Amino acid sequence: MQRCLEGDQGAAGALVDRYQQRLFNVALRMLGTVQDAEDVTQTVFLNAFTKLRTYDPKYRFFSWIYRMAVNESLNALKRRKPIVTLEHEIGLQSSGAAADGAAEAADRLGKALQTLKPDDRAVVVLKHFVSFSYQEIADVLEIPVQTVKSRLFTARERLRLALDEGVR
Amino acid sequence: MLTRDQIELIHQEVDGANTAEGSAAFRSLVAQDPEAGALAAALRDLAGMFTQVGERDVPPHLTRTILDALPRPSRASPRAILHRAVERLRLVTEGMEAVMTKKTVLIGSAAAAIVIVVAGIVTGFPPSGHDAGTIGGVEPATRYHGRTMTEADVSLKNPDISALFQNDQVLHLVQSDAFRSVMQNDAFRQLMASDAFRQVMASDAFRQAMASDAFRQIMASDAFRQIMMSDAFRTLQASEAFRQMQASDAFRQLAAQDAFRQMAASDAMRQLAANAAYRTLQANAAFRDVMASDAFRQVMMSDAYRQIMASDAFRSVMASDAFRQAMASDAFRAAMAQDAFRQAMASDAFRTIMASDAFRQLQSADVFRSLAQSQAMSQAFMREAMSQQQQ
Repeated sequence: MQRCLEGDQGAAGALVDRYQQRLFNVALRMLGTVQDAEDVTQTVFLNAFTKLRTYDPKYRFFSWIYRMAVNESLNALKRRKPIVTLEHEIGLQSSGAAADGAAEAADRLGKALQTLKPDDRAVVVLKHFVSFSYQEIADVLEIPVQTVKSRLFTARERLRLALDEGVR
Repeated sequence: MLTRDQIELIHQEVDGANTAEGSAAFRSLVAQDPEAGALAAALRDLAGMFTQVGERDVPPHLTRTILDALPRPSRASPRAILHRAVERLRLVTEGMEAVMTKKTVLIGSAAAAIVIVVAGIVTGFPPSGHDAGTIGGVEPATRYHGRTMTEADVSLKNPDISALFQNDQVLHLVQSDAFRSVMQNDAFRQLMASDAFRQVMASDAFRQAMASDAFRQIMASDAFRQIMMSDAFRTLQASEAFRQMQASDAFRQLAAQDAFRQMAASDAMRQLAANAAYRTLQANAAFRDVMASDAFRQVMMSDAYRQIMASDAFRSVMASDAFRQAMASDAFRAAMAQDAFRQAMASDAFRTIMASDAFRQLQSADVFRSLAQSQAMSQAFMREAMSQQQQ
């Protein structure tokens, strides 16, 4: 961080390398399209480097940058037209899509995720794709832990329904 | 029927978030209630799906794209990095508005047709170049003083700006050397580097603008991305001049002038912004060439014009009903739309005049200032000028 602030391009590159995969996947699961996820990832890094001096080291860096990723994704969803065609969600396919099972799971799960409200989706994404604890999710989203649980549990129920009824 | 607490207990168990006591309670619950066991199994299946999906690889080009878009640390100061995200939009929008004569030239053209033509007549300066000359002269000061972003500065919320970004000509301009020249103008850089500007950046009003739908649309537009990725923009970002800009406080004094903030927020400005003739003018390549010329920049840099712009007289003229009426008149629009006017603006003669010592002397002449300080005189000459144009 300090090296980034001092203009060390190598340090900046290391930060990008360290976080881009996760941030990209958060955005991808939130938005459902690769293009949008790329845009959000890029914007998050730009914002992060822009605001690096405002970052308070007493807080966790990953909370800070994931918060930006989630917020930017939510903003992108707000900007988006209300209708998102399922064809666009092909981007949810995993890198190991060669395996039919994984590809199918990715497809079904991706579609089911898009049926969730964005706030609920954010909790699910952080829990299941980033493996954050309730507390970490609460820190990222700046909401109480109990709210995290409530959203997560509700979202899972909806996901189960969506998987059972609509996208199986 | 499971209670809420029981459902929470099951979810937490699947998430590995239960304490030892919680896990014991979970096992007991599952042993007693098949519904609990079914829910736990379903949740584990769901979790298994997430695990199966895993992460998707980042597109190969993304890393390079991100790094390329970041400020160049070897040349950009931390302060430049700090403000980079907001700077990029501001640079483009401000530059566009300045160069494309959004508001600034609106004022410039208007004041041109009025005050300076008058001055030309009074001082005996050849009237043929004065109209246009004034445009150039007025524009810079307006830029210096009027570009403070406040809540009243509607530019970022203005659909016209969004439309500009969709315009190929605008993109071409932004990527042009001419645009870069304006961006590298000392006065412009000083403005950008001022404490006042930084305060604006930190203001609620600016944040609101950043949060506006219009801003988001701009940021999301293909046009904006093209600008961001352009070599011209990167060059600007990486330039030593840009870095120096961050360290200057020269603009503070200019930005502190309420007059220009008021001007930017005035109804007259908005009316001018809506003036079709001005938009036509903005689209004129020749006019843009003039705006980008060295001569124009020299005029812009002159103290005389700054003084004029800062004067009560100028504000009075801008605020006058007569001025507004003139701007709204068909005659004015017609005049602005004339090929002859455009040709004059683009002519070598005009440029020569703009760059001439005589023109600068005119600007600093007492008689000119005296004239400008007289609202009645300005209005009279304005009527005269408009009358002549109608004829």
